[in-house]
Amino acid sequence: MKTPKLNLPVILVALFVGFLVVTQSAYIVDERERAIVLQLGKPVGTAKEPGLHFKLPFVQNVLFFDARILDYDSRPAEILTRDKKNMMVDNFTKWRITDPLQFYTTLRTLPMGQARLDDIVYAELRVLLGQHTMTEVITTKRSQIMEELTLKSNELVKEFGIEVIDVRIKRTDLPTETQRAVFNRMIAEREREAMTYRAEGEETAANIRSMADRERVILIAQANRTSQQVRGEGDAEAIRIFGGALSQNPDFYEYLRNLEAYKKTMGANTQVILTPSSPFLRLLQEK
Amino acid sequence: MNWDWDKLQDKRKRTGPPGAPDFAQLNEQLNKLKSIKLPGGGKIVFLVLLLLWLASGIYIVNPDELGVVQRFGAFHRITDPGPHFRIPFPFESVETPKVTQVRRFEIGFRTIERTAVAGSQPQFRVVPEESHMLTGDENIVDVQFIVQYQVSDPVKFLFNIQMPDASVKSGAEAAMREVIGYNMLDAALTDGRPAIQDETRDLLQTIMDRYESGIRILAVQLQDVRPPEPVIDSFRDVVRAREDAVRIQNQAEAYRNDIVPRARGEAAVIINQAEAHKDSVVRRAEGEAQRFLSMLAEYNQAPDVTRTRLYLETMEEVLSNPELMKTIISDNALSQVLPFLPLQNITPQASTRENPSRSMQQDYQPAPAQSASPSVRGGRAQ
Repeated sequence: MKTPKLNLPVILVALFVGFLVVTQSAYIVDERERAIVLQLGKPVGTAKEPGLHFKLPFVQNVLFFDARILDYDSRPAEILTRDKKNMMVDNFTKWRITDPLQFYTTLRTLPMGQARLDDIVYAELRVLLGQHTMTEVITTKRSQIMEELTLKSNELVKEFGIEVIDVRIKRTDLPTETQRAVFNRMIAEREREAMTYRAEGEETAANIRSMADRERVILIAQANRTSQQVRGEGDAEAIRIFGGALSQNPDFYEYLRNLEAYKKTMGANTQVILTPSSPFLRLLQEK
Repeated sequence: MNWDWDKLQDKRKRTGPPGAPDFAQLNEQLNKLKSIKLPGGGKIVFLVLLLLWLASGIYIVNPDELGVVQRFGAFHRITDPGPHFRIPFPFESVETPKVTQVRRFEIGFRTIERTAVAGSQPQFRVVPEESHMLTGDENIVDVQFIVQYQVSDPVKFLFNIQMPDASVKSGAEAAMREVIGYNMLDAALTDGRPAIQDETRDLLQTIMDRYESGIRILAVQLQDVRPPEPVIDSFRDVVRAREDAVRIQNQAEAYRNDIVPRARGEAAVIINQAEAHKDSVVRRAEGEAQRFLSMLAEYNQAPDVTRTRLYLETMEEVLSNPELMKTIISDNALSQVLPFLPLQNITPQASTRENPSRSMQQDYQPAPAQSASPSVRGGRAQ
């Protein structure tokens, strides 16, 4: 029978021991991680899922590995396409540790894993892009290339307990001199376009102007034609009116018209020589 | 000693996050709570500590959040907005990601913080290494866009992917470049933009689903798509060229609008003049015909007399003109003198020397043939 009253030092020691045992044996694996247990440096058992786990204190220790999808952004690489064009390619890789045990035995640490991954992806990238032309890389086959790259890399990293989820080409930039060439070509194309617009504008304008000139010429010509017609009508009408009147006594008209003509024609600077036989002077001869 | 221990505990509670030792020790205390008789003061302190520990399990989920509870690190449950209780550390922990908040980031440009002046436009800074993209026809465009996204699945968002925000960003860049890569320059600059936005959003969503990131892409919005700086002048010149073309055409139209009505006016003048001529000719003819007919009517009353009168009046008028040079000479003399007539004195236009007399005679010839002489004689006789 123990006395119910424990003295403080005993409690403290008990607490301390219990505390040590608990911290050394219980461990928590977060939802974001997987863990492996090492016994004197050797992995034992299987990877631990999230939750509360226990291990042997002091002889076993725990290693945690990130189980999320990890991002690896490699530095931009200059590659040569099939049509011998230089390109700067910047890609990123999404990967995940699927088998922490495998990973630990082959690569040990995350930085090591990244380095290995980088080697593999970079090599595959060079090989694949070297089989395609620049146009294919940029446009037509881009997604296909990325798909293939992902599959191939995934195949190669399986042995390390890694899964490559996605390799994506983020940027495809042209080297400076190529870029300058592209800019120059773009400028040339635009200049051509601008010239075409201006020339077409001139063409349309010339068309409009010449049509206007033509319209004017036609208008005036038509007016002249109509004018001659009208004048002719007028003259014909006048002749008809006259003729209608004169035909009543052409003889008299002739007589009148003659007289009028004499009046008009004989004026200054006209010399008239009259003889008494002239009808006008007839009376001078009569005695 | 007891007090000291409690104080130590207390201090631990207050300062910093409690560690694993706490847990062990508290468990011990829980187990021994009934069997161990601590001094009264110690018990109270212990109870207070217990209550404090329990109280630390209360957490509040805001309306724009969801609570994600982990028990011993493993995902356990999702809690809705409102106050909730969890078993305090170290059994359960909680995180409250914002799930209604729309997150956004900019690619190709950055909004520089607004200046202190109110109402001023925010300044933008272009980031060329992000914004330069290659089009399908191997041109370069400057693309600036924003991406808006939301956490759709907090569990995936928290536990599935490292750096979810950065992943959206790099994914967005890759997606946009891919889409721009199979579009042509002109489409990207003009009417292809809505399609580019939609395709990029769908592609980005596919990528995010592939990563099981628990992210929903709400929108990809192109802010600005334009030719890069070194070539922008030539693009502007194209715009200017279009305007020039329009201007040149307008000038031509103006010329036409000026010249054609004038020509119509000219034509109208010509036609009016013709009409006027027609009118005047016809009127004059009518007038003269009328006059003739009036005279004829009178003449028909007494033809001979009128004839003679008209003849004489005419002769009188003609010969009474002082400027007319007149010579009266007998027929015999005429035949002799004619060669010596001072014709050289006469001005060239006076070549009608003999014509008048002849014509007069001719003119008069018919008259006597009819009844001129008798009429004159008659005239004289009276």
